[in-house]
Amino acid sequence: MPSSILLLLLALPIAATLLLPVLPGEHSVRLRNLAALACGAQLLVALACWRLPPTDLHVAWLPKLKLALDLGLDGLSLPLVVLTALLSTLAILSAPDDQSRPRLFYSLLLATNVGVVGAFMARNALLFVLAFELVLIPATLLVATWGGPRKAGAAIRYLVYGSVSGLSLLGGVLALGWFNSNGVSFSYEDLAHASLTPSAQAWILALLLLGFGLKLPIVPLHGWQPFTYAQAPIPAVMLLGGAVSKLGAYGLLRFGVGFLPDTWAAWSPWIAAAGAVSAVYGALNAIAQADIRRLMAYSSLGHMGLLVLALAAATPLSLQGAMAQILAHGMIVALLFACVGLIERKTGSSSIPELSGLLNPLRGLPFTMGMLLLALMAAAGIPGLVGFPAELIVFEGSWVAFPRATLICLIASGFTAVYAIRLFNRVGFGRLDNAKANWSATRWPERAPALVLTLLVVVCGLWPKAITGWSEATTASLALRTATFPTQMASVSTPDTAVQAIASAPLLLPS
Amino acid sequence: MTPPTATAEDLRQAPSIPPSQHRWAEVIHRLEAGGSMLPDTPENLKQIIGIYKAYAVPMDFYWRDLLYIAERVFLNPLPAFKYFPSQEYLDLPNSYAGDQSKLRIWRGGEKAHPELLEFMARGETGTMPKLLHHLWHDRINMEFAEACMQAMLWHQGMGGRFYDYLETEAYRANADRAIKAYFRGNPAMLALYRLFPEMFMEQVKQMSYYANLGLFWEVMAPVFFEMSDIYDEGGFKGVPDAMNFLVNGIFAVAGRPIYHHVYVGDECIEVIPKSEGFTWLYEAALPYVEAVFYRTAPFRGTKSYNAQAQQVPANQADFHYGILYADVFPVGSAGIPPTLLMQDMLHFLPPYLKEIYRQHRRGEEDQLIQLGITFQRSMYNVTSAVIQALRCALLYPLDDPDPEHLMANRRFFEAQMDRFLRPEARLGDIQAQEYR
Amino acid sequence: MANIIETAKAAGCFTTLLTAVEVAGLTSALESPGPFTVFAPVDDAFAALPPGTVQTLVDNPPQLARILKFHVLAGAHRRAELVDQPEWTSLEGAPVAIRRAEPFEVKNATVVSADVECDNGVVHVINRVILPG
Repeated sequence: MPSSILLLLLALPIAATLLLPVLPGEHSVRLRNLAALACGAQLLVALACWRLPPTDLHVAWLPKLKLALDLGLDGLSLPLVVLTALLSTLAILSAPDDQSRPRLFYSLLLATNVGVVGAFMARNALLFVLAFELVLIPATLLVATWGGPRKAGAAIRYLVYGSVSGLSLLGGVLALGWFNSNGVSFSYEDLAHASLTPSAQAWILALLLLGFGLKLPIVPLHGWQPFTYAQAPIPAVMLLGGAVSKLGAYGLLRFGVGFLPDTWAAWSPWIAAAGAVSAVYGALNAIAQADIRRLMAYSSLGHMGLLVLALAAATPLSLQGAMAQILAHGMIVALLFACVGLIERKTGSSSIPELSGLLNPLRGLPFTMGMLLLALMAAAGIPGLVGFPAELIVFEGSWVAFPRATLICLIASGFTAVYAIRLFNRVGFGRLDNAKANWSATRWPERAPALVLTLLVVVCGLWPKAITGWSEATTASLALRTATFPTQMASVSTPDTAVQAIASAPLLLPS
Repeated sequence: MTPPTATAEDLRQAPSIPPSQHRWAEVIHRLEAGGSMLPDTPENLKQIIGIYKAYAVPMDFYWRDLLYIAERVFLNPLPAFKYFPSQEYLDLPNSYAGDQSKLRIWRGGEKAHPELLEFMARGETGTMPKLLHHLWHDRINMEFAEACMQAMLWHQGMGGRFYDYLETEAYRANADRAIKAYFRGNPAMLALYRLFPEMFMEQVKQMSYYANLGLFWEVMAPVFFEMSDIYDEGGFKGVPDAMNFLVNGIFAVAGRPIYHHVYVGDECIEVIPKSEGFTWLYEAALPYVEAVFYRTAPFRGTKSYNAQAQQVPANQADFHYGILYADVFPVGSAGIPPTLLMQDMLHFLPPYLKEIYRQHRRGEEDQLIQLGITFQRSMYNVTSAVIQALRCALLYPLDDPDPEHLMANRRFFEAQMDRFLRPEARLGDIQAQEYR
Repeated sequence: MANIIETAKAAGCFTTLLTAVEVAGLTSALESPGPFTVFAPVDDAFAALPPGTVQTLVDNPPQLARILKFHVLAGAHRRAELVDQPEWTSLEGAPVAIRRAEPFEVKNATVVSADVECDNGVVHVINRVILPG
């Protein structure tokens, strides 16, 4: 397929973003459908790109700054673009019929989508930074305008953390380009071959870790996350948790593992430790939460820990697991929040002590709770659901490199079941108070986004190749360690070959 | 015995005793004015009459099958077909309906109700052999009736002489005759009887309670049918009218004998003969109300109970799991008896009741809960009728000029309301129409 | 003097009671030497019962006999004696409460005419049918 199709992936949401504010009429549902249509079309185009891989696009933009519109899709970015397009569509559809200020709301969601997709498609580090920064503005506005009672605090916190993340990323990427003794360039091909002094590598990786670690987030950079997830409007949380946070994971994989393999390998024990700490911290905090949203925020934090562990291990299998975990977690977290959104919309609360008996077939929300149960089971890694293959590969792949960290993560992952059961037991079972239970049942259009995610969670659980097959070759080529000889990894790691591989990463199709 | 109601004129008199200080003083004053625990609103009247009708149809099956089990199935060790009463029992003439009845309560026919027969033939699924209806559970939930019977058997000492009689030698001799006759030519069961006589005795006692409950409901079904007909004709002016009809009905049939006959072939063995003098009011109705409306037993499903943690009262008299206390949200697990009854009543709702349900909460989706709460309202009305009937039988007219008599009435009503002081009681809920 | 049955017949206001006693097969018992204390409800007391109540009882003699026996105590007890004790056991088995001495009240019935002496006992005329419980 021609490379211009890549532009279409961005043009669709941009066009809708621009069109929404000028459309006549105050019909919220029509605006929502239009926005969803744009993202749906984006999803279809992305899927078309998977069947018929397009060539890379190169348009010089600001040659002085070495900024170029380099776009491309490889085994890393394609699944993420598909995921983002899917989650954007479903997030938009999860908005209520009577969404307040719909034009601005959907425009901002679409703008977020543009930023995330743009970052994933970028083949130029400056372009990546640009897109990465773009996401911050609409996301902050979404929280600030449509958030919960403490939206102002949440928005400011998100903005401050996001700015630090963006600045450190900018610094890291500029340094990456400028300190390259082969000449200043920001294209991925050149960066992959960059030669940097070890101390420069260390500084750059530190900056990148800060930037992406804040985005993911991982402990101790997670301060914004539970607060924001608790206050932001549900479609924004679905997008933030499902797609935006994946920018961090993608960045670590692309920049950290791909461009700074030596330092990454040297620092990986510490990164793995941070992952393990995140996993334990997230799981234990989730157990203690009294609000479903905060519980899920900490749960998400814990799962990011597993992801970071897999990235740190950087064996072919663990990177494969990392990609699978990105996709699986994207679906699961979006589904969890879609269900919470339905619960909140009907009951007006996400407080665990206030809710009980929601599984009641006649007056409760049995359908929503059924999907929530499935999502919680998927998050807990129950076989047959999408969380299981992802976590299994992560653990299996990371075990050879960091057995202790992996073991800690395994135990932390076991706690997932604890808070999942605790949550469901409190909210789903027990007595439904007749005096309070005076809300309408969920309708099919409301259920649809969550239902699609539920089906994906089951289908991808039964057919794990859907989340592993995309990027096998790419991740294998990125691997810094071989699975069989973990002790030799530092000396064996051959940055050159890895770099080679990422520069010309072939697009592997799931078979 | 005093007249059941005061006339309107009497009620306008200033009360000669001070107002009650009870938590349910409002309800007590209403009872003292000849009212019901259920507020007198047109919707309440419509709801309770509608549910009486929906209750009476399955009840027409319950009493026939209960008698069939008590009299015919008896000690069958494998009673797989006990929920298939014979045609003879479906045609059994109700003593209080039809032309043959000495005291005709319902103007309708004496055989099984036509709506019941239609449902038994078609069910929800369609016409198919009754065994398939049974296995698909598309049928009248006889398990509910059995749960009520078991509640009466288990709680036992609740007034009346029935349970005491089951301990007497006369009863044991009769039961012995019935067991030996029933297992005539069955040496295995007779040998078992010789080995474990008490086990067989207990089973016969249970059968006696089947008969007891069957005879009780044989009266209630025509009472409810007649109330529905009177309402359809525009006969009741308010909830108190419906209650007074029940009070009068209770007295009219109070002397109805309670007995237990067992038929082996053509031979009739009187396990509890009519000549023991057991009456409907004392040996069936009052224990039934106590056991089923108030006490029953904690049922699984909506809540798990831990007896060791004293979540279940140590004293049987303190049990409070009946319909007057029930959380009527059915969860549909573990065979909860009220759920079964609601399912049964759902099939026979009159159109005006369906209309009410369509207009509230989730409309048709949660009809089961709405009708359960309607049932709760209607049973508060039945309990009011029982309380007023007891007041008539044992105490004084509402318009008695003697203040001491009025105080005696007051103490009686307050003692009855004391049972609704526990937080589970739904008396407060049913005062409001929004409780659905 | 006459026995209880004869006294009741002579009074003329116990038609329903006498019919009931006859149907229940208690006539001969009440003609026996006894002695008994009988709380005898007047005809108006039976008439005050809701329609069908008496009919059901008359149709079922054992049940009727039980209610009637509740109105009878063993032994001849005059008013002065009865008020000394709060409860007396009836022939039915259930206790009959003496609620008040002045005016003389037996359960929820008021004694219209106390201490009517007979050969085989005492009759107290009451204005309501009393029921066990």
